[in-house]
Amino acid sequence: MGNSVSRALGKLFGSREMKILMLGLDNAGKTTILYKLKLNKIRTSAPTVGFNVETVSYKNVKFNMWDVGGQERLRPLWRHYFPATTALIFVIDSHDKERLQEAKEELYAIISEKEMENVVLLVWANKQDLKGSLKPQEVSDYLELGQNLKNQLWCVVGSNALTGQGLVEGLSWISNNTPKK
Amino acid sequence: MMDVERSRHSMHPGSSGSGLRHSPRETAVLIATAGNGYPKKSPSMPNFHEKPFTSTNASEPILNSNGLPVSSEYVADNSGVQSLTDGDASLSVIEMYGDEVESRRPENEDGGNLEGDEDADSDELELPTSGMPPTGSAMPNSDYFDRYGFKKQSNLITEQDYDEWWENYSQYCIRRKHKWKILMEKSGLPMDNDSPNRFPSRSEKLKRYVRKGIPAEWRGNAWWYFARGQEKLNKNKGIYDKLLLKMDDLLKSKTKSMPDLDIIERDLNRTFPDNIHFQKETFQIDDPPMIKSLRRVLVAFSLYNPKIGYCQSMNFLAGLLLLFMDEERAFWMLVIITSRYLPGVHNINLEGVNVDQGVLMLCIKEYLPEIWQYIMPQTSSKHFSLNNGTSLLGGNDFLYKLPPITLCTASWFMSCFVGVLPIEGTLRIWDCLFYEESHFLFKISLAIFKLCEPELIKLKPLRNGIGKNPIRGQRGSQMSNGESEMEVFQIVQTFPKQLINPNELFDRVIFKRRFSLNKLDQDEVDRCRKYVSSQRLKYKHYSEIMGTGHRNNNNNSNNNSNDIGIASSSSNSADGEKMAGDIINDALSSEVYGFKKGLGGVHWNNSIKAKVKQMRKKKG
Repeated sequence: MGNSVSRALGKLFGSREMKILMLGLDNAGKTTILYKLKLNKIRTSAPTVGFNVETVSYKNVKFNMWDVGGQERLRPLWRHYFPATTALIFVIDSHDKERLQEAKEELYAIISEKEMENVVLLVWANKQDLKGSLKPQEVSDYLELGQNLKNQLWCVVGSNALTGQGLVEGLSWISNNTPKK
Repeated sequence: MMDVERSRHSMHPGSSGSGLRHSPRETAVLIATAGNGYPKKSPSMPNFHEKPFTSTNASEPILNSNGLPVSSEYVADNSGVQSLTDGDASLSVIEMYGDEVESRRPENEDGGNLEGDEDADSDELELPTSGMPPTGSAMPNSDYFDRYGFKKQSNLITEQDYDEWWENYSQYCIRRKHKWKILMEKSGLPMDNDSPNRFPSRSEKLKRYVRKGIPAEWRGNAWWYFARGQEKLNKNKGIYDKLLLKMDDLLKSKTKSMPDLDIIERDLNRTFPDNIHFQKETFQIDDPPMIKSLRRVLVAFSLYNPKIGYCQSMNFLAGLLLLFMDEERAFWMLVIITSRYLPGVHNINLEGVNVDQGVLMLCIKEYLPEIWQYIMPQTSSKHFSLNNGTSLLGGNDFLYKLPPITLCTASWFMSCFVGVLPIEGTLRIWDCLFYEESHFLFKISLAIFKLCEPELIKLKPLRNGIGKNPIRGQRGSQMSNGESEMEVFQIVQTFPKQLINPNELFDRVIFKRRFSLNKLDQDEVDRCRKYVSSQRLKYKHYSEIMGTGHRNNNNNSNNNSNDIGIASSSSNSADGEKMAGDIINDALSSEVYGFKKGLGGVHWNNSIKAKVKQMRKKKG
């Protein structure tokens, strides 16, 4: 799917465009990341009810980022909107150790959806600026992606939405790991 | 967390029955206004103890018809030691920020005397220079914040845009308030020191007045009045206090019996982070009073109605209410909103959201077919159709599998447009919501879509949608579909956020009779809600019985061969599915919703004047 879309786009516009779904528990920092990427601004963000959609360009790739509200009970609302996603970004609050398990369960629930079979998975271990946050490696160990993911390419990148650290790295990993033609 | 109850300190356990506080001052106020049945201030008025400034006289009007402070005296004390008794803490935020208007008004008044005749009754403008509150850090700086304490600037609106617009709009507000005052006087209603508790009886004229905006200072009382809040409160006297006691007990016992508490906590400091009243100052260790009130209202609500508990977006509803009324009233308004205006929308199963979104989609299809083509899902029909292309739901399959745009519009409803439009627009919608009931939410949604039209039209070349432009190859078409879907989404998401002037929406759509969407009334919405909810239920039952849950039909959405939305289901749709579909189709397709036609539905041009106008038009 992603393959054909980007191929078609590449032919038409000489650039690629991909739909990226950004998920994660509430208060993980998804919206802050989105607007840091989009506007290079830190916006004190309110809980997202529903969606934020923004286009972020990096090199010649257009990322259509879908930032989806995090509260558990609202998740069923967008469940049916998984199709046609090139990449999944899962944002984790590395500082909130109490909810790591919940985050892990949510991640596996999403990634096991049929529509997610062929996506590439980027995990942003966010809030690295906070003292006592888990390091990307620790988050990665905790999530046990290596043991459990058979089909998807995955990567865990530490991020700090406030400074932007790790954000470009994440996006370029995505663009390097999705089919170019 | 620890001082959840702190500012409720004077709440006496024994007082829960009456809901009255045992504060002599409060009691006096209540007695003084008992005649009209609307206590001026209820026990749980938000207090601003920790604010370094406040008015010395709670009952004094802060704003006159010019929106200027008349005689407010501010206790200027930057150190924050000034503390009020509960009885004094009865200023609502809008009153608090009377000084806001004042401090920036001089520039705006320059040459702004065109409206002089309208303001004949206005008080002398004394521009206080000495009585100004200090510009301590807890003070909203009028350069950055609006009269409610919201930051003027947003992602899409600059401070300059705001100031330019406000220069005119503040004049509009003054004119409107003047008219309201005349209406009140004609109706023989007291203005009670600029805090009227009763409002004129319902009429076309009043509806028009409400649509043009209730004076900001009156809003809290007006919403309460129109939504019949007092009726609700009278039936439930003391309940709120009891809920707070229960909350206190639960917190003390430290049992994990409040599952919503953590979720509420996470959202508290993210509610209106751009509003000064919700911000924690660096010197504050404690939560701001507004956050404490918000916590109490939300927790109390989750205890009061466990079926809803806490759902994101309710923080915005309660937060906005708290800017205009005291805690107890805000609580009951939240109860009213979540039950009467948005039934089921915040329930755990979210069915209310889906029903309302189904209704909205039906309305767009009916009243704005020109918009419908942009949001009608290209891929929807195949989810619910069979190999032969017949739709399972008689063309209304989108009621079950809602178009993607509803992910955007669902939040409009859940949060009643808080955060969807700039604040003045949201408030105007709330004015109408409480006066006209929930159909107004649909009407204003349609209006927003209507105003989006020029932007949507620009997309047209890109889109082959709906099989209109089969020139592109299949692959190309799907690509452009995905892209245009994204763009439609962005337009619908972004457009309202930059609509700084609410009159755009009202003057260009809501007050235009030629738009058929204005025929939409409460009766229609009620009927439509019933229809959608029964259709969804039936489909769910049928598909369960027949084993064709929509997920099964769903897995071909990546299929590239779909061009014009007609089924091209992949090979896994077996005969069984076809049969099941036929049965469902038979059962459902006969029930197609019919909108009322003709003038019967036109509530708001019932006035003779309007009819005459129309007749003339016809003749001419």
